[in-house]
Amino acid sequence: MLRKNTINEFVKILAKPRSYIGIAALTLLVSIILFAMKADGKMYISFVTASFEQTLSFNGHILNGNLIAFIVLQMLIVHIPLLVALVTGDLLSGEAAMGTLRMLLTKPITRTQVVLSKMIAAATYTFILVLWMGFLAVFVGRWVFGTGDLIVLNSDGLVILPDADILWRYGLAFFVAYLALLTIATLSICLSAFADNSIGPIVSTMAIIILFTIIGSLDVSVFDHIKPYLFTTHMASWRSFFNDPVPWSAIWESIWILIVHNILFIGLAIFQFNRKDITS
Amino acid sequence: MKLRSIFFFITLSAFVLNAQDPNLVLKEVRLKLEKVADYSAQVHIHANIPMIKIDDVNAKVYYKQPNLFKVESKGIAILPKQGMGDLTSFLTNEKGYTCALNGTKMIGSVKTQVISVLPLTESTDLILVKLWIDPIKDVIMKAQVTSKTNGTLDIDYFYTDQVKYGLPSKLVFTIDVKKFKLPKSVAADLHQTKKKPTNTKEAQDGKITLEFSNYQVNKGLSTQFFKQKQ
Repeated sequence: MLRKNTINEFVKILAKPRSYIGIAALTLLVSIILFAMKADGKMYISFVTASFEQTLSFNGHILNGNLIAFIVLQMLIVHIPLLVALVTGDLLSGEAAMGTLRMLLTKPITRTQVVLSKMIAAATYTFILVLWMGFLAVFVGRWVFGTGDLIVLNSDGLVILPDADILWRYGLAFFVAYLALLTIATLSICLSAFADNSIGPIVSTMAIIILFTIIGSLDVSVFDHIKPYLFTTHMASWRSFFNDPVPWSAIWESIWILIVHNILFIGLAIFQFNRKDITS
Repeated sequence: MKLRSIFFFITLSAFVLNAQDPNLVLKEVRLKLEKVADYSAQVHIHANIPMIKIDDVNAKVYYKQPNLFKVESKGIAILPKQGMGDLTSFLTNEKGYTCALNGTKMIGSVKTQVISVLPLTESTDLILVKLWIDPIKDVIMKAQVTSKTNGTLDIDYFYTDQVKYGLPSKLVFTIDVKKFKLPKSVAADLHQTKKKPTNTKEAQDGKITLEFSNYQVNKGLSTQFFKQKQ
């Protein structure tokens, strides 16, 4: 029954026009970035390497598909949570708002299974979104710009990774990015369990992300103990795969924290939905 | 009296001959460098620069008189901005500089003549070039290039089979990395929670080692070749 209901939930997601906004927005944004980089990508590179270029010259195919994929991922990962929350934020509350919740619960399925089926459908949608972004960024990027070594600027300086050592990093980076976006999906469904209107959980999800991101970026010692436990702190962990050596322990820490958040949000959503009064 | 004059003349001649004219020393080096109209060579680049992490890279370099230089590399290759073809082109233009002898110095077992070379035009980026020259083989053993934009760059030269052309088999560049700064908006790790301890004795010098092999000298590289994109 869970499987059947999950398929139903996924069909419902596909039937909503807003589900395609994310795919369309991603396609448009990546196309714009590709066009901008093709037209004036050297400016971006010189911005990154400016202080080094007084003394050093960087030779070779720097503006390549690997760099473009990194830029795309870096630019869009900030905005994709909105696209995810837009669809997943009303999965439960939307039913309540439209009055279809009672009908849904007349089926021979437990409330827990209803929440889980919606979670699985949301996870599948998020996966498709990440997969599409990965395809556009890595494969289309490499097709348009060719391949080459990847030059990455992080807080320690420049890291130049050989072309042959990059694809696995993208694979794992997209996995961690997916886990981060899944946290957004479960958070929004969790908030959705508390609400009876569609827009509330979507806006609340974004407000929480903005709040946590600001706390994470404030260089104030009061927040130092909180920061490591905020899921937003670990949303950029995908970047760590482009360090050399890869800080595996930090990445595992991020993965565990994101998984714990997911379990927490799912648990809270199940708890709340089981207590939810649907008769009034 | 006649004997005394002869002795004085011989002493003076010996003194004059021993204190070499820096222009003559530099001229010999220049003549050697001018034998090379063009060259290509395989180069293995090892960069050990603070704030930059890069694996060793194999590339191919091309040079043509007076100042054409090109690098072909499959990967990203980092080279010093100065001290490659530009130093040769600067030294081959004898009207562009004046020089002075600063004594001698031993580099390994080689007694070198230390010559300071000052550009005559203000428009050039170079401020001072200090050269340690082996007067027997007429090659540069060490150079110190001070420029307006890049600060000071030290270059150590090592020679094997191409010494007859003054082409090194190995170059070690020591660069000043104090000027390197990361653009904060890009480098700042928004999600970094652990502050890194600031090391005051952090290395300020970076080294780039170039090992040359398979020199192809005077094979007639065309100017057009240097304009082609890789």
